[in-house]
Amino acid sequence: MLPLRLLACLIALLSLPAAAADLVVVVNARSGVEHLSHDEVVNIFLGRYRQLPGGQLALPIDQPSALPERALFYRLLVNKDLPQINAYWARLVFSGKTQPPLQAANPDEVLARLRNERGAVAYIERDQVDARMRVVYELPLLP
Amino acid sequence: MRMKWQHSILLRYLVVAIVAFALTSVVSVLVMGTLTGARAQQRASERLEQLLDTVESTVRIACFVGDHSLAEEVAQGLLKNSEVQGVRIEAGGHTLASLSRGGVSEGGAPLVREVHSPFNHQQVVGRIVVQPNVREIARNTRNEVDFVALQFSWQVSLLALVLVVVMYQFSVRPIKSMSDRLHRMDPQAGDRLPMPRGHANTEIGRLVDDVNELAGRLVSSLDEERSLRMQREIDERKYHAIFENAETGIFIIAADSLLSSWNPAFARLLELPHVEDYEGTLQLSQLTWENPARLGELVLSCLHHNHARAGDMVLLLKNGGRRWLHLVFNPVGEGLVQGVVHDVTGHKEAEASARRLAITDALTGVANRLGLEERLEYLLRDYRLTQSGGFALLLININDFKRINEGYGMPAGDDVLCTVTSRLSSCIKSIDFLARIAADQFAVLLVNISRGEDVEHIAGRIAFSLRQSYFLDGTPVRLRASMGITLCPLDGDDTPTLMRQAELALDRAKSDGGDTFVFFDPALAEAAEARRHLENDIRLAILRQQFIVFYQPIVDLQAERLAGAEALLRWKHPERGMVPPDAFIPIAEKSGQINEIGLWVLESVCTQLALWQSQGLMRRVSLNVSGRQIPDGLPTGVLADVIERHGIDPGGLALEITEGVLIADLDKALEWLAAVRELGVHIYLDDFGTGYSSLSYLKRLPVDTLKIDKSFVQDMSADSNDYALVEAIVAMARSLGLRVVAEGVELAEQAELLRQMGCSHAQGYLFSRPLPIAEFEAMAAKLGG
Repeated sequence: MLPLRLLACLIALLSLPAAAADLVVVVNARSGVEHLSHDEVVNIFLGRYRQLPGGQLALPIDQPSALPERALFYRLLVNKDLPQINAYWARLVFSGKTQPPLQAANPDEVLARLRNERGAVAYIERDQVDARMRVVYELPLLP
Repeated sequence: MRMKWQHSILLRYLVVAIVAFALTSVVSVLVMGTLTGARAQQRASERLEQLLDTVESTVRIACFVGDHSLAEEVAQGLLKNSEVQGVRIEAGGHTLASLSRGGVSEGGAPLVREVHSPFNHQQVVGRIVVQPNVREIARNTRNEVDFVALQFSWQVSLLALVLVVVMYQFSVRPIKSMSDRLHRMDPQAGDRLPMPRGHANTEIGRLVDDVNELAGRLVSSLDEERSLRMQREIDERKYHAIFENAETGIFIIAADSLLSSWNPAFARLLELPHVEDYEGTLQLSQLTWENPARLGELVLSCLHHNHARAGDMVLLLKNGGRRWLHLVFNPVGEGLVQGVVHDVTGHKEAEASARRLAITDALTGVANRLGLEERLEYLLRDYRLTQSGGFALLLININDFKRINEGYGMPAGDDVLCTVTSRLSSCIKSIDFLARIAADQFAVLLVNISRGEDVEHIAGRIAFSLRQSYFLDGTPVRLRASMGITLCPLDGDDTPTLMRQAELALDRAKSDGGDTFVFFDPALAEAAEARRHLENDIRLAILRQQFIVFYQPIVDLQAERLAGAEALLRWKHPERGMVPPDAFIPIAEKSGQINEIGLWVLESVCTQLALWQSQGLMRRVSLNVSGRQIPDGLPTGVLADVIERHGIDPGGLALEITEGVLIADLDKALEWLAAVRELGVHIYLDDFGTGYSSLSYLKRLPVDTLKIDKSFVQDMSADSNDYALVEAIVAMARSLGLRVVAEGVELAEQAELLRQMGCSHAQGYLFSRPLPIAEFEAMAAKLGG
């Protein structure tokens, strides 16, 4: 089954615009964080820790669900699709106290929050990165 | 019927089945309980693992995030399972949630599982510890085991029940019904086992068939046995009845002659009580036998030779009588002898009476010839044993007795014989013996006498006594008796010799004229021997043709020429020369050889006659016929046959008979003569004048010619008595129309006298002696024939 699923993923990725394929995790430039490990990115975006390495409260931000970046991000990060991620959050939301990352209404809000909030962490297209943001983790490219 | 449980197959089977099932069940339940318990434990832990599996993803999330609420939520969910006693979820070194139900938590290994990150399976983010509810699990396990055991027991019980029912239905019940039926069954009344339904082809069916067949065979064997027994019983009864009712005495004795059993007939015959009534022992030999030793011999011989023996024994009866018993002994083995007894007294008496009769003369009551011979044998035996007690045998012949019978009738003759008997008895002693051995012949045995003088004395007395007159119808008749006497042991010492000697002496007495007695003389025996010798020679003479016919011419006195001839027999004996007829004819007559000789002469004469007749010579030849030849020695049929065969004129043939032939049986002789004359053959009466026949006989006799005996002719002279006699005969013959031949003419003077008195023919030495045929022709020529 795995090869089939992999094949399906490959097809989905290929259908994406080539330009959108290069996602990076970025933080506010002022946050003082230079680099994040893959586990740190996972812990932050999936609710384990909400602190950046410098002690700064982390504020993860999700791209809107309608955009392909979000699905691609989680695919590349933990190899899960969106329904799985949604189910994960549903259990935490209904029984526990942990909250999912902030859901941005549009890509601009992501960018805006990156620029304005110190603890903001998000994933965006590499070409959308500007000076107020710092790339702390580069998601691996699609093989 | 009450029976102990071990005596019932069903109950036995039930007990065994129940015990077996119970044991099986217990063992099975124990084993299954252990197995089921172990499996239930394992399943319980498997269930807990599965329980953990169901919550694993949530626990991973809770541990990953370190969310107490979610962990608590999961723990509470787990606790809802009764087998879970407590749950603790730990993450990152501290407990996220720890819940447990109330009550004592018992020991038991907790289930610990590490919790991995939902996103990285190598990364352990916490652990979950589940404390199983041991009591609950044990209870569940027990329930399960109980249920399984119950179910198993129920199944086993049902199976056992089914088996018992099936066993009862298919085996025990048919067997029990068969058994009950067999108990009541009477095979001889035709009872048989019914076939249990549905078992026709099963083992039980075969068993029923076998039992029925066995019963059938048993019944038929019993029937056979019974019929055999009945047959044996009937046989036994039958034999018993035969034994009891037999007229024959039946008994069994041991070797020592001890009687062990006898039947009523035996008791009757031997004057014994019934075998049942007899006490003590009884020996057959101790009975009142006349000769017990003979009985012992018989029994011992029977045992010794192992063969049946029989004998006649005399039993002396209590009333003084005698009983003849015929005993047969039969060895039956083991030293036993079975015997039968018949009363043969009647037979013995009849036998004795018959023997007495056989040796007794019925008319006179004295012994007959057989009796005489028996007595002779007895005396001879006695003499031989003792060499003493000589005796004399007298044969007494009543001469002329035939005349009494013919003249006065048989009853008169019988009277005479009885008188003779009584006279003889009175002449002898009581120890002497008298027998009548032929019609007119008596015999007397004078015992204890040896001297001829004494015998002569008694013989004289007898002769005197018999010479006395007998009265027949008041007429005194005298009889002459001849006696021949022989003495034992002087003359001989065996019966045939004595009898022959006495007969010879008697013959001699008879030929001496009777009325006298003659003692046997050896010369008589010699004469008899010579006579027997002669008889033999005669027989040979016939065979060897030693006889010759001579012819003596008979001349016609009136015509003075040959008329014929008398054929005369001559015997040319090889040693003795010519034997005269007188020397052998009487003997031949006595022995019967005369018949054969007579036929030979007839044949010879007829041959000669045929020759002469063919030559035209009319000669008549006469030949002598003996009285013994009439009528059967020369049957008229044979005579006719001979005449015809030779083709002769019967008128040329004449038969010469003497008056003697008339004495024997006149009627038959007359008949024969008539038949001969019928053939045309002439009859000459020979030796006429010498006999005593009356003239009335002559008248009745069918004769043609008389031959005057030469005794008259020889002494005849012109003035003698004989001349008158011959003349009378010639005259008488002429008057009766008979021819006359004078015999013995030797002188021419006689011939002349005869011719003068009218005698027609003559023969004698004057003319010719008898001549053989060769010389006869010459003489015939001389005589003018």
